[in-house]
This record gives sequence, structure tokens and C-alpha cells, in this order.
Amino acid sequence: MSTGARVADVAYTRYDGERSGRPAAIWSLARWSALRALGARRGWRAKLIPILLTMIALTPALVVLGLRALFSGASFTNNLNIAYARYSTITAIVILVFSVVITPELVCSDRRDRTLSLYFSTSISRLDYVLAKLLGALLPLLLVTLVPLLVLYAGNLLFAVHPLGYLQAHAGDLLRIIGGGLVIACFYGVVGLAVASLTGRRAFAVGGYLAFLVIPTIIGGVLGDALNERYVRLLAVAAVPIRAARDLYPGFTDPSNIGAGLWNLTAVGLIAAGLAVLALRYRQDEG
Amino acid sequence: MSSLPAEPFPEAAPAAGVVEIEHVSKRFGQVAALDDVSVAIAGQAVGLLGANGAGKSTLMRVLLGLIRPDAGSVRVMGVDARSAGWEVRRRIGYMPEHSCLPMGMTARDLVVHMGEVRGLPRRVAVLRASEVLFQVGLEEERSRLIRTFSVGMRQRTSLAQAIVHSPALVILDEPTNGLDPAGRDEMLTLVRRLSSELGIAVMMSSHVLEDIARTCDSVIVLRDGRVVDTRRLDHAEAAERGDVQVRIEGDPAGFKAEAARLGLAVDGDGDGEAWLVVRGSDPQAVLRGVRDAACAAGVGLHELRAAGPTLEESLIGAIG
Repeated sequence: MSTGARVADVAYTRYDGERSGRPAAIWSLARWSALRALGARRGWRAKLIPILLTMIALTPALVVLGLRALFSGASFTNNLNIAYARYSTITAIVILVFSVVITPELVCSDRRDRTLSLYFSTSISRLDYVLAKLLGALLPLLLVTLVPLLVLYAGNLLFAVHPLGYLQAHAGDLLRIIGGGLVIACFYGVVGLAVASLTGRRAFAVGGYLAFLVIPTIIGGVLGDALNERYVRLLAVAAVPIRAARDLYPGFTDPSNIGAGLWNLTAVGLIAAGLAVLALRYRQDEG
Repeated sequence: MSSLPAEPFPEAAPAAGVVEIEHVSKRFGQVAALDDVSVAIAGQAVGLLGANGAGKSTLMRVLLGLIRPDAGSVRVMGVDARSAGWEVRRRIGYMPEHSCLPMGMTARDLVVHMGEVRGLPRRVAVLRASEVLFQVGLEEERSRLIRTFSVGMRQRTSLAQAIVHSPALVILDEPTNGLDPAGRDEMLTLVRRLSSELGIAVMMSSHVLEDIARTCDSVIVLRDGRVVDTRRLDHAEAAERGDVQVRIEGDPAGFKAEAARLGLAVDGDGDGEAWLVVRGSDPQAVLRGVRDAACAAGVGLHELRAAGPTLEESLIGAIG
């Protein structure tokens, strides 16, 4: 029989130890928000979609690397690769759906349950709250905008005949991968949160966000073809971050013939508009 | 979490009370929500009493640094709430009036999360969440989603998150709102324990005098944004006072005669619903005398209480 048994004292004790400041509070809120948006400490259905979408986003990289591993001697594997600049175009729909799933989850429930007033009764200010939620959106989105490309890069590095040489030759690509992943995640995070912050109903937020991304994109495509006017294609909101990120890679030609600068400018403008909406929405609203 | 730099508390003013409010005024348009309010609170349980719209919630929000007063100074534990509201909010606990708990979280997750947000390291937050959930009687339900809780359990969860970080002061805004009698009784018992057993100063607002009387050591009465009365609620005072007033069923003259024979002085005619005031040398003698006089005169005792106006009677005019 164990002799180590003891009676646990669960009496209320005073805490006089170290207390963290506002940065830790912001990080705590961001971490909890990100984990809950990904389904942590929630039912399996809440976990399923983010996990599934992350796996789908990883699939092109895993397929290419898997085929190279399985048929390492075969000649067809020499040309089996995906350009880093194209990867996000391939997974664009996955990124879009992932952001639609994640971003409303971050803010709608706080407004619906009036949790905002609870947070604002702590050291978290309105600005802190928005920062934490932006961080909470950014971190999960990087799972589909950055991680697959990093996996592909790591695989290419491993399969290279001279890994060190590959690293030297493609060091710039690594920075572009990180920059592109951040641009896409920032765009979808900010715009998604801005739309979702307008309502406490998750269904409305999802519908509104999809409408904001898809309807201008369809209109831009239709009008662009009908009028043969290339700048109308800038209305393709859903494509803006992907094309802005793609333009980070040198030598990649834009099929819409609009130019890197305008795509980047549109992306920056939409991010700024999203931040303005968030600033207005949380300026004096006490939930 | 723990790798982030900890911010030391600013130096508190020496010998500062828990709360020091001096000449605070706040207007919302034409409405004076607070009008030259001055209050000092030491480590005790204080009730904020007033009708709806009296300024209780505004005063609490000023204390939390969520509203900047138009005039006056507010210091909470030596920290200026006007200039360092976030620091005040980090130090104290707050239980809002309305339900504001995330329905999709478990009680334990919420309390741990709020502990971290209020500055506790994660390991400490986990440990203290268990402690406070035990204290509010939710240790068995800590892993249930809050949406499955009754109103009373949600209120207790709200209280747990307010005290998880070991605050020196906890502000409770109408903590019995929406509770059934049993839930209200449990909540009032918990609130009383905060100051009497756990050593946490309490400021509790209510428009129900009985809630304040049961849980607080003193009361501040607000009306139209002004402090109209402050007094200690000395629960022992009534018991120590010898005089009582009684309402009897039967012959008041007979009762008065029997009481006089026992050495007690009786004032009033006692007709109908009128009170008789009985005075004697000490409380026990008065109570025994009332009992014996009633028996000897063959009258029934309808009601007996300490003489003088009740707390409710004395504050009813002030509350408005």
C-alpha cells in the first residue's frame, strides 16, 4: 500500500508572487483565441475542419516530396516540383475557406456573449484586444500560408544533391516564403476580423465575409472579360493577397498584366481599411 | 508567458486606504451621474446602495479607470485610476452585473484564462483556478461548459474569475441579479466570506438593502449621483441595545401592568397595529420580562424587534 497519500488542501491562498504586465495579457488572449479557433478544448467537430484544411494545404508539398522519396532514382522526379511563387495560387481556395472558418470564431462569440466587458475590466485595453485578436488570427493562418511552403522548402533542401549549395542559392526564396506567408495571413486576418467584428452572429459573419471576398471577385472577372479592362480585375478581392505575395518572387509575370505595384497597393489599402473598421468598431463599443 | 518581462507595481502611496475618492464628478450630457462624490474605503466590505440610476455603476467604472471623471481624484490602493486605469484593473477583481461569460468555455478554462490575463503565470493560474472554484462550490462542475450552468452557477463562476488573481479589492456589481432565493442566499454567503475569511476587501453594489446588510460592514447611499448617507452596519449594535419594541395581540393595558410589575418601562398605547416600546436595565432582562409579561397578561406576541428605526426605515428616505 502506498504511504505517500496525503490530504490536499484547496484553501484559498494569497498570491504575492510575480505578475506579468500587458504584453503577457495580450499574448495570453492571443494564444487562447488562436487555440480555440483551431478547436482546442472544444468538440471534435470544431477541430475537424481546421485540421482537414491544414492537411489539404500541405498535400501538394507532401505529394511532391513523397513521390521524390519513393522514386528517388526515377528521371521523372527531376522535374517534379512546385514553384514557391505558385504554391499559394494552388492552395488559394483552402486559404480562403480556412480564414472564413477561423476569423469569425475569434471575435463573434466575444460580442455575442458580451465577454468584451469582462476583458475590458482587466488590464486589456481596446487596442490590446484588437492586437491580441489580430495575433490570434495570424498564427493559425500561418498554418496554411507559411507552413506548407516551409515544408516544401525543407524537403527541397533535404533532397538536393548539395543541400548547402541549395541553401545558398535559395536563401532569398526563404525570405520571400516568409514574407509572402505573412502578407497573405495579414490580409485574410485583418479583413476577416473587420467583417466579423460587425456582428455577433457567426453565421452572418461567415456569409458577410464570403460575400465580401467572392462577389467583387466575380464582378471583377466578368467585367474584366466583358470590357477587356485589366484594372477592373483589381476588384478580385480574394486574389489580391495571393497576387501581392506572388509578386515578391522575381521573374514571375502577372498574367493579368496589371503590375506588382498595383496588386501590392490594393492589398495595403484593403488591410488599412480593415484596420480602420476594427479601430472604429472597438473605439467606444463596450459590447 | 513566463518569459515575458514582469512589470512591477508602481509605488503605492504610503498608508493609503483601499479606495480614496475625492470630489469626483461625472456628467453624461445634461445628466450628472456623479456629483462631488468623496468616499474613503479601508479594508472591509462596503455596500453601494441606491436606486437604479443613482450612480452606483458609474462610480464603479470610475474606480476601474474605465470612465474618466470630469473632476476630482480617484486612487485605488495608492494608484491613480485616472492615469493608470489598466494598473488598477490588474490589481483588483471585478464581477460585472450582466452575464458576460464565454458560453463555449468550461469554468476551469475561463478561470485559468482570466488568471493569466490578470497577470498570473500559467502554472499558478491553473493551481489557483482549482482553489477559487472550490471556494465558490464549483469544483465538481469545473469541466462543464458554462452554457450548461444555471444562473447561480454562472454568477459563482463570474465571482471565481474575479478573485483568481488574489486581488486586494473585488468590485461586485449587483451580484445577486437574477438569482432565485436559494442562489441569492448562496451568493450572499460567498460574498460575506470574501471579506470575513479570505481577507479580500469588497465593494458591492445593490439596490436591495437586505443584501447589503447581510454582507457589508458599512454602506454608502447614493441618490442622483450624490452621496447622501454613509454609515457602519454594526450587526452587534441592535443586540446590545436593551430596548425592544413589541406588537401584541390582546389587552395592551394588562401587558403594560405586568411589565411594570417586572420592573420594565413601557411606552405607547399598543392599540391596533401600534408598537409598544419596552425599556429595561439589560437586554436579557428585557427579553425575559416581555415573555413573562405576555404570559401573565394572556396576550400574544405578534412581533418583537430592537427599538428604534430599522436600517431600512432609517435609509429609506436617503435611498429615495
